Order: sequence, then structure tokens, then C-alpha cells
Amino acid sequence: MTRSELIGAPLPRREDARVLRGETRYVDDVVVPGMAHAAFVRSPHAHAGITSISVPQDAEGLIAVVTAADIGAAVRAFPVMEPDDMEVNHAEAHPVLAAGEVRYAGQPVAAVIARTRALAEDAAELVDVQYDERPAVLAPRESGVVLTRWSGGAGDVDAAFAAAAHVVSGSYALPRLIAAPMETRGCVAAYEPVDDCLTVWCSAQDIHRPLAQLSHILDRPPAGIRLIVPDVGGAFGSKGVIAPEIAAVAASAMRLGIPVKWTEDRLENLVGGTQGRGIEGDLQLALAADGRMLGLRARLWADLGGYLLTTTPIPPHTAATLITGVYDIAAAAVTVVGALTHKVPTGPYRGAGRPDAAYMVEALVDEAARRTGIHRVELRRRNLIRSFPHRTATGLEYDSGDYERCLDLALELAADGGRARDRDGGDGDVVRGRGIALYVERAGGGWESAEIELGPGGTFAIASSSSPHGQGHDITFAQIAADRLGVPIQDIELHFGDSATSPPGVGTFGSRSVAMAGSAVAIAADDLLAQARARTGAAIVDWQRLAEVAGPDRPRAAARFQSANVFSSGAYVATVRIDCGTGELTVERLIAVDDAGTLINPLLVHGQVIGGAVQALGECLTEEAVYDDGGQPRTGSFLDYSLLTAAEVPPIVTGEVQTPSPFNPLGAKGAGEGGAVGTLPAVANAVTDALGGRRVEPPFTSDKLWRALHDDPRGDGR
Amino acid sequence: MKPAPFRYEAARSLSGALELLAGDQDARALAGGQSLVPMLNFRLAWPELIVDLNPLAELAHLDASGGDLRIGALTRQATLQRSDVVAAGWPLLIQAVAHVGHAAIRTRGTVGGSVAHADPAAELPVALTALDARFHLRSRDGARSLSAGELFQGALTTALEPGELLVEIEVPASPPAARTAFLEHARTHGDFAVAGVAVILAPGEHAAIALLGADAVPVRAAAAEQALLNGAGPGEAARLAAAGIADDYRRALLTTLSERALDQVMA
Amino acid sequence: MTVRIEINGRVYEDEVEPRTLLSDFIRHQAGLTGTHVGCEHGVCGACTVQLDGEPMRSCLMLAVQADGRSLRTVEDLAGPGGELSALQQAFTEHHALQCGFCTAGFLMTADALLRRRRVEPIGEAEIREELAGNLCRCTGYEGIVAAVRAAAAEY
Repeated sequence: MTRSELIGAPLPRREDARVLRGETRYVDDVVVPGMAHAAFVRSPHAHAGITSISVPQDAEGLIAVVTAADIGAAVRAFPVMEPDDMEVNHAEAHPVLAAGEVRYAGQPVAAVIARTRALAEDAAELVDVQYDERPAVLAPRESGVVLTRWSGGAGDVDAAFAAAAHVVSGSYALPRLIAAPMETRGCVAAYEPVDDCLTVWCSAQDIHRPLAQLSHILDRPPAGIRLIVPDVGGAFGSKGVIAPEIAAVAASAMRLGIPVKWTEDRLENLVGGTQGRGIEGDLQLALAADGRMLGLRARLWADLGGYLLTTTPIPPHTAATLITGVYDIAAAAVTVVGALTHKVPTGPYRGAGRPDAAYMVEALVDEAARRTGIHRVELRRRNLIRSFPHRTATGLEYDSGDYERCLDLALELAADGGRARDRDGGDGDVVRGRGIALYVERAGGGWESAEIELGPGGTFAIASSSSPHGQGHDITFAQIAADRLGVPIQDIELHFGDSATSPPGVGTFGSRSVAMAGSAVAIAADDLLAQARARTGAAIVDWQRLAEVAGPDRPRAAARFQSANVFSSGAYVATVRIDCGTGELTVERLIAVDDAGTLINPLLVHGQVIGGAVQALGECLTEEAVYDDGGQPRTGSFLDYSLLTAAEVPPIVTGEVQTPSPFNPLGAKGAGEGGAVGTLPAVANAVTDALGGRRVEPPFTSDKLWRALHDDPRGDGR
Repeated sequence: MKPAPFRYEAARSLSGALELLAGDQDARALAGGQSLVPMLNFRLAWPELIVDLNPLAELAHLDASGGDLRIGALTRQATLQRSDVVAAGWPLLIQAVAHVGHAAIRTRGTVGGSVAHADPAAELPVALTALDARFHLRSRDGARSLSAGELFQGALTTALEPGELLVEIEVPASPPAARTAFLEHARTHGDFAVAGVAVILAPGEHAAIALLGADAVPVRAAAAEQALLNGAGPGEAARLAAAGIADDYRRALLTTLSERALDQVMA
Repeated sequence: MTVRIEINGRVYEDEVEPRTLLSDFIRHQAGLTGTHVGCEHGVCGACTVQLDGEPMRSCLMLAVQADGRSLRTVEDLAGPGGELSALQQAFTEHHALQCGFCTAGFLMTADALLRRRRVEPIGEAEIREELAGNLCRCTGYEGIVAAVRAAAAEY
């Protein structure tokens, strides 16, 4: 099969036109006649027992106040995922509404259903909840309550460390982050008793996981729930598990027999949405005299929050398994403990454990370079994995890659960039630094499906199991199908996002949609083409004629594609300068080289890299979910949780390496998270370089950097 | 986030507005809404009555015909930003207002509103403090004028009594030789300032330095101003300006900003 | 109270409470859902519309304040047959949108900016500053800045 002009074509998205005209339908645009609105009574305390709840007898527009006592028998707590070999304490799953106890400030205690959102908020103020406050634990190492645990490794780690010429250690901490998509979470739930069908429109990353979660929570067969994902305004992992509020609204809609809408407001989103990162690690690297890495020890602690939501266990497990990075380290011992803290639960956020691992190992490797005197680039070269497939000491199998080529390309692109450590006086006393980081990340995996059929006019309708929330599935899958079928792209129509009509699948997350769902589309298209060729006896099919001739018996095909994980990788270089007078960090330039295998649409891939990189720049410059000593969230508005604007984005130069994956017919890997994974360690290493080897944790705020420069003027302390 | 319920009255005249505000202890005046409406939405404020001042065209003048600049409290920040008269005679205001939020905020936000809200991180109160502005207040029962030092009392706190409105800001003319600078340090573009400085300098004649972030109110650095008039250079004056700040970082930040602002006007 | 608000040349008349936000009136009472709500405290810019041609946060105005006023929303940018304007066309060519939620706010901000700046060419740094009042979490802004730059020639 020859490659057409479509694979690798940077086509603009045809799905943009309706967005630009304002013809979209996000969940808050959904109107169901007779719809009521929900607001929530939330815990003001980080940890407390609930002693009583009294609800107002009447309030304007109030329909009902629903508590755990009201729906208790009808709902179960959240199902919780178990990553491979991870111990998960299912008993600590998040309840729908708080029953007897609250474990984080903002936890939903009661759903208030009223004629309008404003009236629901008015009535919520009249609900009187009595609490007895309890001490709040905020640091994972001080918790004592383990929610998840995983250990892995291979090889003789003790021997490696015993034989080492150098042992380098580091302790790292990434604060919690808030995903903050521009569209908050929300749903409309409507129950139709006549056909016993619960319909839920949900701002979600896919139909499958909300459907499965609701099915479990409501103890309702999936066939009794229709899950519709309309237009979605971003997610970045935070909509992979439904909000407890959504489960409460669905239960309330069924109980009351009225459709109910909940649109999360921004305060709720910043305080109550699952947060990302929140991980600490103590790492040790054993090296031979020539810089070969002999062994790695890592102990990680994850700040998981008060309960487990469905996706909570995943990121720390991912971080633990990726902790050896791109390096050929035969012996490793890794443990990760997910601890209970009295904060909102964590979950996947752009990168979901991958940036965490890259941050730690890349900082440690730079430290090893300083210790051994071997240049940081050379040290990396001496240890890169060069033969594939490669099984890591943590149990992952990397399918393909060319890490050295990524590194070389990044260095080439960076060649006219900044220089290391340069303190110049006079006009603006600044220090400069340069940081390099390599990353590898787990993408793809699981399975997805597609159904394709020839329509009466000779055009094609494809139902994909995957649904988009900004990635560009429509144009991308159309490119794939048109390429396979040899037809114009405008003849392909894609459908997503309705459990009544979409084929089954897993979900949109973890940089997997092109590799998995795109491959399913390709295989289904191939199957359809084979059928058509067989029916017509011709290698080149006249589709219009075939459609006419076939009548109602038009060909259709379905495919389910499954594969192991594929592994994207990359090399990033950042140059930074720090203003010694103010401590302000400026990222001067970022080089981003990513290997996501075969690229279907480079225009979209570039957008994903830049988008991910700018999110990571936010993580580096300003973002941190802050809690005070009493467990009160302090970042409940965009004035407190500061997102980067267009004016803060530095020049970003991108480059591509494409080592196709052998695991799918497209050769595709994942491009959605590389920007977020590579940028953090590159900028972090650049800051450390500028500070002369002294490390601070992100976000690299002005006051932190100023103190690092002035508490230790020689800049070589630790 | 929806506001708690309130009654609404659109003012038909200044005296009418003052009457409404005097009569209801739980009334708030609505000008640009860029500070008040977020507070309503977050339910951080839940007044019984909102008195909308926007219909009062008489409060929206911007006039320098008498030599001093008279800014009606309801003058939009965007109007200030685009005024040739202000650019010619009071460039510090142009420099400061460019840092106030973003264009969409300045379309509605008013100069008087920013002053009356008295956010410690706001730019216009600091610039007006450097300019020795006088603030004219009216209530149903009378009128009075205050200096910046008298008006700004604490974070989000002014000397405005219940029922009292800021109606006009009077800014004296600066010496023709004066040069100005406004510098701030914020996390992102358009974000509230962490620290900032407004500087006016006509060498040997007039010096004003007002600091943002040294305290909960704008602070004039009198000792530094005097030192400048006595011939001190930017570095020395800047150190004097920030000398009283206890926190090391904040002191360094304001010293740096002051020095850079003075470098600009003395270049 | 009853308000009459002109949006995109058509007058919408309806009952509102004093506390009804203009953003909610536009979306739920006028039925123009192209304008989005992202924060309700004036920072994200998703709700930006034009009031007398100037960009404005509709979440920070009460519907009653817009009585008798004239607004323009994203639905007014395309031609009568739905033809994309030069600015909208530039957005799609430069991949300036991913999830689309912030897009209407950017379009109204950029349109106002470019109409006001017709005479002098506008450089990238200035575009970035002028767009800093609109947040995007998906694109990293590169495509948006490129689109506005490209469209500037058409204004």
C-alpha cells in the first residue's frame, strides 16, 4: 500500500467551521424541558465528622435537598482502577455524597435541586450542617494511611550499589496542579421511566468510562444508561472520572423524576476538581567510574487526597514504572506509596506521572554529571537504550525509539541558543542556564473499535469508539480512512460520543487515540475495501455504483484493535535567565524534539506539543494548588491560580523524529503529552544550571529564585 | 457562581444616588463592575441594594482646561488610556493604566472605581498617590476632599463613609521638565502586581516615588524623594525608598524596581 | 424587570432579575450559546463580547445594565450564508483552536483589536499583550497569535 498525500498532511480541521460560528453544543448549552438545576453544599473543613444535617422546609424555587441518607441504598462508592500489580484499598473509594465524614474542604455533602442555579445556591446557604472537626493530615510522608502501594524492580540492586564508583542521591517534590480546562465539568441527567433509560449528557473525555462508572455507582446495567458526550471544552485528564457531583445529580434525577443539570462553576472546579501531580521521591543512582548507570533506587510518595476516585491510582504507578527513563539501567528497585491526605483526590493531569518520572530522573542524571565530572550530554549518551524492544527493570517493554537521534536533533536546533551560567553585570544583573532533558512515555495500549459503512450516496459513515475533546479526531480519522480507501476526504463522515450508537472502547486519555482508535478505523476501512473489491471484482471500486447496486445490503465493516503500549520519546532543551534583582525567571527559548512515530497530521501534532509545553511552562512559572496549614484551599480563583497568557510564552522550536511503532498498522505512537513531559525537566535543569547546581522545586517563582540566589551567593550550595 | 439576590436602582442624578446610598446601610454603588461583580458572583459581598452609577454622565468628565486634570470618577480606564490630554500632561497615568487588567476590563472599569476599591495590588491608586492627587467626596449631607494618604487606609479600605461617593479626582499639573516611569512585578501579564513603583522626577525641582506592595496602601518614599532632590543617584534613592520593608525579598524587589524606574527617568 | 437588549442587530426582550448576569442572558434567554462562561470573575475572557465595538466581559455586567444597549457576539462574525470572516478563516488555517471553548472570546477580542488598529501594522509582541486577557488551556497560543497576525492584513 503506497502512502497517499493524506498521511502526514497538515490539513486544517474541517470541524473548526461550526466552532468558529458559535454553533457548538457544550453541556451547559444542553436544554431539556423541565430541567432543574443543582448546586452543592460542601464541607468547609478538611477533616470532620458530620453530626447533623438539617434542610430548609421551604425556599423559593427549591425542589429537593438530597443527602447520602436519601440515596444511600441506591448508590455505591466509586469503582477504583487497579494498575498492574498495584495494591489498591477499595474500601477508601470516594462516596457519592459524604456519609458521616468529610475528608477534604469542598467535598460535596448535599445536592440542592431548584428551579434555577441561583435559587439552588440560595437554598444551599440555608442547609445547616453540623461538624465536629478533626485533625487534618496534609503531607503524604506523615500520613500513616496507605491507599495504594506498588513495588517493582529487577536485577541485583544491592550489588550494583556496592560496586558503584559513585552514588548520587536526590529528593524531589512536585506540588499539586489544577487542570483548569476552560470548560468546567458538568452534566444533564434525565430519567425516562417508560423505557427505564437514564440519559446523561456529560462533559467527559469519552463515553465509556463515565458509562462504566455510573453503571457501577448506580448499580444499573450499562444498557440502561445512554451516555452522550457533546462538545467538550478540554479536559487534560480531569474529566476521565466523573465528578461525584455528576453521580449525585444522576441519582437525584432518577429519584425525583425530573431532569437535572449541574454546571460546575470555576470555584468548584479549582477547589473540587481532581488535581494533578502531588508526588515526592527519594532517588539514588549508582554509577561506574566511566559513568555507566548500574542501578537505581526510588521511593515515591503520592499525595492522593482523602479518597480514591477511579483514576487516582494511575499517575503514581506510571511515574514509578517510567523512573528509569531512557537509560539502560539493569538493576532497579522502586516503590511507590499513595497516602491519604485531607485534600481533594488527585488523578491524571496532562502527563499523568510521566512528567513526574522525567523530572526526577533527569535532575538526578544532571547531578550525576556534576558529581562525576562527565559532561551531562556525554553521560546521557553513554547510557541510552539503543536496542529495541527493551524491557526495563520496572517491567515495561519499550517498542521502538531512537533517543540519540532526538538528542542530536535537539542539540542541533539549540546550537544558536543561550550559554551556560553567565553572570553579567551592568544592564540587568542576570544569570543564565541551559537544561537538557530526555523523556520516554507510555502511550497507546488497551483497545478501541470502529464501524464503517457505505452510505446510499457512495460516501462513508464511520462510528469511532473514541471521542475528541479538542484533539482533532474528525479530520485525523478522516485522513486515515480516506487514505486506506483511496477516496476524497470529504466523502468520510465521523460520528462519536453517544453510547447508543458508538461502538465499545476504552477512552480518550494517555496519548492513545491515533494509535488505537485510528488503527481501528484503518483496519475497518481495509476490511470494507476488501469486501468491496470482492463484491465488485475490481481493484478500484466505484463506490457510488456499488452503493446503488447494493441497495439496503451495502457493505459495512467493524474492527476492534488491541495492542500493548507504545512508547513515545523526545529530547528538550531550555535556556533560561533569572533576573538577580527580582528573581524573575524568563524562559528564553525552548527546543522540543518529539518522536511520536508516524504523524498523521503534523499541524495537529504541533498544536499538541505547543499546548502541552505551555501547560508545563505554567507548572514551571506559576502554577501550584495551595493549601494552608488547616487544609483550606487557597487557589480558588484565577486570581490565585495563575495561568500563563500569550504574553508569557517564549519562542518554542519543534523538531520531529519518527520511529514507527511496530505494534499498529499506522506506526503511530502518542503525541498528546510529550510537550508536557519534556518541558518540565528541561526547564528545571536549566534553572538548576543557572543557580550553579542548587535545586529548587517548581513552580520557580521569583521569590524562591531570589532567595536561592541570595541565601547562597556563590550559588553552589545545596 | 451566582450572586445572592439584591434590589437594583439605576441612578438618575448624583443627588438621587446619594439619597439612595444614604438611606440604605446595606447598599453598594456599582461603577465599572470589574471589582464589585466578581465579589457578588463569589458571594463575598451580598448587598441589599445596588445603586448603578453608570447613567451619571456628569461623573464621566476628563478635563484639563483649568490646568489641573479633573477626572470624573466614572471615567473609563480605556478613556483615560486613550486621552491625548492625559498623555501630554500626566504620562504617569498612561503608563500605570496600561498595567490595569486587560482591554476588556478597561472598557468598563472606572478610575474612581479602582480608587474606591483600594486593592493593595492596584496600579491607579499608586500613580495618583505619586501625583499628589486630591479626592473629592460627596454625600447627601456634604462634600469633602482628601489627600491620598487620608483616603487609603488599608487593604480594600478607604476613608469613604457609608453613603459617601468619590465623585472626582483632581490631579495637579506636574512641572514641564518632569519625567515619569511606572514599573511593576506581576506573575503574568495583566495579573495584579506583587510590587510596583511610580516615579516622577524633575531634577532639582520635584521628586515623587510611590510604592505598591510596601504596605497595604500606597506609600510615598519621602526620604528617598528628599535624597533625590539633594542629588542622590538611583541606587541610593532606591535603597532609601525600600529601607523600611521587613521582608528581605520584598525589600530587594522594591529596591530593584525603584532603581530601574529611576534609571529610566534619569537616563 | 424587563430589559430590551440588542444583540447582533436584533432586539431581545425578556424578564430578568437584577442579579441576572449579561452572560447568562445572552446564553440562556437570547439563546446565543456561542459565547461561553469560563470563570465568572473576569479573568479567563471566554465570555468576551463587544459593547459599542469594544471588548467587554459579559460575566461582569448585569443584564439590567445592558438595557437599551447594543452588543455583538461571535454569531455576528460570519457572513449571512455562514461564510467565515477573514479572521475566522485565519483561525482555522493556523490551527488556532482545539477544544474551541475559548475561541469566541478570542475572536471578539481580536476583531475589536484589529478594527481599532487598522492603520498601523501590529507586531507579534503587541498582539500577545493584547490577547493576554484571554486564556487558552489547549493551544499554547501560538496558532492564535499567528492567525491574528495573518488576519491583520485583511482589516
